[in-house]
Amino acid sequence: MRISKMRYFFPLGLLLTLLLDGIFSNLFAAEFFRPNSMIESRLFVVWLVMALCFGEIDHPYLWAVIAGLIFDIYYTGIIGPMFMILPLIVYLTNLMYRFLTPSFIVVLLICLIDITVITTLFYGIFFAISYTSVSLSEFIGETLGPTLAYNLAALVILYWPLKKFFEEFSGNRSV
Amino acid sequence: MQRFFFNKRLIIILVTIIIGFTLIAFSIVVRNNRSTPTFIQQVGNGAVNLVDRVVGVPINGLKDTGNSVSELLNTYRENQTLKKKVDSLAAHEVQNQVLKRENKKLKRELNLKNSLTDFKLTTAAVTARTPSSWQNQIIISKGSLAGIKKNQAVVSQHGLIGRVTEVNASTSKVELISNNNSSADQFATQVLAKSGAVNGLITGYSKKTNLLTMGQITSQRKINKGDEVVTSGLGGNSPEGLLVGKVVKVKKDEYGLSSTVLIKPAADLSDLQIVSVAKRID
Repeated sequence: MRISKMRYFFPLGLLLTLLLDGIFSNLFAAEFFRPNSMIESRLFVVWLVMALCFGEIDHPYLWAVIAGLIFDIYYTGIIGPMFMILPLIVYLTNLMYRFLTPSFIVVLLICLIDITVITTLFYGIFFAISYTSVSLSEFIGETLGPTLAYNLAALVILYWPLKKFFEEFSGNRSV
Repeated sequence: MQRFFFNKRLIIILVTIIIGFTLIAFSIVVRNNRSTPTFIQQVGNGAVNLVDRVVGVPINGLKDTGNSVSELLNTYRENQTLKKKVDSLAAHEVQNQVLKRENKKLKRELNLKNSLTDFKLTTAAVTARTPSSWQNQIIISKGSLAGIKKNQAVVSQHGLIGRVTEVNASTSKVELISNNNSSADQFATQVLAKSGAVNGLITGYSKKTNLLTMGQITSQRKINKGDEVVTSGLGGNSPEGLLVGKVVKVKKDEYGLSSTVLIKPAADLSDLQIVSVAKRID
């Protein structure tokens, strides 16, 4: 039996998109972190959702936990938030995808829900440990909205290339 | 059977939440009390930073190319204004050197080895910024191997930008002064007013106006708009004389007793490629 190439591509892509988030946030800090619109780049979630929908991945929960830990250790220095949220996202995505027929709109919807959940829980945890004092209404208007817009735009751009990519390399597996 | 699966799932969720919150509590304790994070964190940070730097090369290259093209278009105008400045700069430099020598001599006569104004800069590249609205934090590519210690002040070429919050072997995290959380450090600063120095603390940052708030001012000296604000070195972590910004407005508090000063930061916190960590020598 041939080993799927996805076994290497999926974690590598996850790490790459995770790092790109940080690099983009630094390069375009002036555009991302404005006084009343803050964008949290979550390209790795786009990668994760596309992979779960179109690829055949071994141990998605394990990789989600590892990616969460890398995010926490490398970016925030507070271990825990992403470590808890990412496996939940994998579970949610699998759950929703099982009931719906795959199409562009469905994936967009799943990604929308996932990013809303991530951003809200992330805010909730940071609010709980008083690292932020932003009110809920400010959070929805200034962070959630722009974050969704940016990440969904990224999904729209990356949808076709990523779909082709995952279908190509997952298809090899049965051969 | 259904019940069994439900219970299993519930237990997994509960265990994850308990582990997660324990880790959060643990990392906050480490961050507040220890000078370096745990070994596993150090190794993880080092390894990821290495990959991050490799990934960053082509992207930073692209951005730099874009920048150079736009800079090229501005070069002529810039050259005109810079030419005017060069002459006065040379004079200043000579004066500076003379004063420095004199200062050294006087210090020696006073038997004063090092004062708060002595510091050494370690330059580091910025590899990434935390993609989060709740932490204005950057990751720099130097760590304890280069002599960086927790709580040291960090400056860009224009002025103060923040302080080191986490030191690993070859990377560090820097919390920017625009951070507004409860654990943020308060820099001891002073306003260089005409009538003399006025000491205080940076107590906050307003995201809307991009202004720093300086409070805890007890002096009655008059502060004018445009006065320069520098670190005072009294906090124990930062050296004296790092430029913070300029006074924009002076406000009295609601009882009319102490005043708060609003400061426009000298450094552009959204354009950081190279930063320097100021190490106090004393």
